[in-house]
Amino acid sequence: MWRNVAVIGCGQTKHGRRRDVSLAEMVEDAAWKAMEDAQLTPNEIDAIVVGNMQGFGGVAHPDCWVGDWIGAPGKPVMRVATGGTTGGSVGQAAIYAVASGMYDKVLAVAWEKHSDSKEPGATTGLLHVALGNLAHALNYGLSLKHLIVTQAVGAAAGVALYQARFYMHRSGCRIEHLDMVAAKSRRNAAKNKYAHLRWPGCTPEDIAKTEMIAYPFRFGHICPASDGASAIVVAAEDIAKRREKPVAWVKGLAAYSDEENQLMSESYGGVGVLDASEQMGCRVSAMKAYKMAGIEDPKREIDVAEIYQPFPSQELIFAERLGLFEEGKAWIALEEGEMEIDGRMPTDPSGGVLSTNAIGSSALQRILEAALQVMGKAEEHQVPKEVRNAVAHGWGGVTNYITVTVLGDSPR
Amino acid sequence: MRRVAIVGYAQTQHQFDMDKTREDMVFEVVKEALLDAGISREEVDTVITSSSDFLDGRTISSVFLSMAAGAYLKDESKAEEDGTSAVWYAFMKILAGTHDVALVEAHTQASTFNPHLVSFYTLDPLFDRQVGLLNDIAAAAIQARMYMSAYGVSEEEIARVAVKNLLNAAKNPNAHRKIPDVTVEEVLSSKLYYHPIRELMMSPLSDGACALVLASEEKARKITDNPVWIEGVGCCQDFYLRDRDLLKLGSLEKAARDAYEMAGVRDPLTELDLFEVSEKFAHEELMIYEALGLCRRGKGKILLEKGLTEKDGEIPVNPSGGALGADPVCATGLVRIVEAAKQIRGEADGYQVSGVRKALAHGQFGICAQKNWVFILGGER
Repeated sequence: MWRNVAVIGCGQTKHGRRRDVSLAEMVEDAAWKAMEDAQLTPNEIDAIVVGNMQGFGGVAHPDCWVGDWIGAPGKPVMRVATGGTTGGSVGQAAIYAVASGMYDKVLAVAWEKHSDSKEPGATTGLLHVALGNLAHALNYGLSLKHLIVTQAVGAAAGVALYQARFYMHRSGCRIEHLDMVAAKSRRNAAKNKYAHLRWPGCTPEDIAKTEMIAYPFRFGHICPASDGASAIVVAAEDIAKRREKPVAWVKGLAAYSDEENQLMSESYGGVGVLDASEQMGCRVSAMKAYKMAGIEDPKREIDVAEIYQPFPSQELIFAERLGLFEEGKAWIALEEGEMEIDGRMPTDPSGGVLSTNAIGSSALQRILEAALQVMGKAEEHQVPKEVRNAVAHGWGGVTNYITVTVLGDSPR
Repeated sequence: MRRVAIVGYAQTQHQFDMDKTREDMVFEVVKEALLDAGISREEVDTVITSSSDFLDGRTISSVFLSMAAGAYLKDESKAEEDGTSAVWYAFMKILAGTHDVALVEAHTQASTFNPHLVSFYTLDPLFDRQVGLLNDIAAAAIQARMYMSAYGVSEEEIARVAVKNLLNAAKNPNAHRKIPDVTVEEVLSSKLYYHPIRELMMSPLSDGACALVLASEEKARKITDNPVWIEGVGCCQDFYLRDRDLLKLGSLEKAARDAYEMAGVRDPLTELDLFEVSEKFAHEELMIYEALGLCRRGKGKILLEKGLTEKDGEIPVNPSGGALGADPVCATGLVRIVEAAKQIRGEADGYQVSGVRKALAHGQFGICAQKNWVFILGGER
């Protein structure tokens, strides 16, 4: 039965366009930093979980090659990949591996190296998701209409854009609020030495000056395509308790997927989800993870949230879906400064995915950053209050994948 | 530790260029596995699928399968590479006590994107891929040649492995490559790829899927009278191609050792009644015998010569025909688990081995079986 698990080591690389290292060197950097932080040698690690999105770096099953750099030979290695949530899924697999009693110390590593693909910005990788729709459409007989819709999906940004419109229509949130979220993210990232897009003192007005890409997203609202890797070491209770350094305990976790959300889904295979901002998978995951963590009122009991928000609208949508704010009211809390690093409910003090997006690694980075906040090791972007519970979120797929992990300063 | 059992399973009729979409194939196999277990989708707590972006020919291969696999509004994840990895994950989730019933699904439609071409993209992109000389078949040929010269194994002896498995496959309704009258001569005159690897010594390119339902002991007893227990699990990754000793399957040795230890197996030769292994190339099966501890290194051919690993031998290996009979890449290891469970439950119509109580199932992934998973399964009593 459940055995308590704690994050005992964290490591990440500097994010950005990393032409100075190869994929293997980059992954090695994060993995060794995490092991060093956990005060463990590679020989002391019992099992490894890895993940990234294969198409982006252009290497199939890269763990076969990269394994040698992170001490994998001779060890059980699981490869997990679920799109945007990959990192969250990697972290959760490592947690289950320890909780099950099978392994005592597990290393979780996730990464992405976008600049290795031919078209920087991972356009190829993301378009493949959209092109998947084409195959799907073929099931029902392809028509020109289908083809046009497929082209119009516009990959992740396209989906997020429709999602944002749904949310704005429902809640009264305006484009100025998206500017505010983006500016906050850039400012927070400026305090995080590993982040990609860092802009000290960035204001919503600065963001508002950037070019409109497709309403309601401006250039300043879009996440970068980063190269980077992150890693954590999770360990069983008895090992974690012997540590002198602070650890972050895993209190609850869940990964409930939603129905596939497809554009104009009503006429495309009878998929039920029409409102892309509904995110029932996130509601259910949060509910289950909080229940496991013994959290009854997340608004009161959660102290900081690391939300997967490649686009600013998503920080607001998911903050609500994670139960941190009233339905449709996150943008009001934002106006009142509650989501700032020193606010009542700081969201993404690290700058989040909006400022650093090495896709496969992004959701693991949320767990890592939440752990740093619990341990009090987030340095310049540490929230200036006591952190007892932190929630880490991951989002991906065709808006249908979610991971929610709750960490805290005491065991379950 | 909690006990975990297999309570239901299903697999497709593996074939090339299946007349079904990926979604339909997955939906049907999952539905059949749930029917086999006699449970509804509502009773499933977590769903783990297994597939690969490159092999499925698209990014986030699982993304449009949440509904087909019945995973919507359920806890789910995807373990890539071999389906046995997904079983390993589901097994751990049940052990953790957070879930009671898990559904595992694995598939590949090899007709979508040739897996041998994909193997080229698993190579070190900075050197080996640029040199352009290697792929999984070429590497297997190097390994086979090394093995042959180190231990005096002939091409005929390797061809005999293929004959054994293809004859077995001919009796398995789900197998893909069926040649009921195959001979050593036929194998040795089939198309040559890289010497000594010939077409009939390689696993075929199959489209197929496989699904498994796992349950905790408490649930398993309610679901079925005939549970198959997972008694041991082991898995291990080897060094990358360049730094490996290709003369042995080192990571399989380690994985088998761990699985034996967990299951309390001291002597696999006498304690295990049946073996279902993933031999992607005929010579690998001989090396697998050795890695599993059935004989000393280099002596695999003797087990075959004496007919010990035939369907009616003392230690039957691959009565289903193994991977040489059908290789729907990510599903292949999962099919081994299903075939072993089938034998334990006495449901292998037409190729049932009598008196199977404990069996071993093996899955592999990567060039020259770089990664290996071993499961020890046991019946009731």
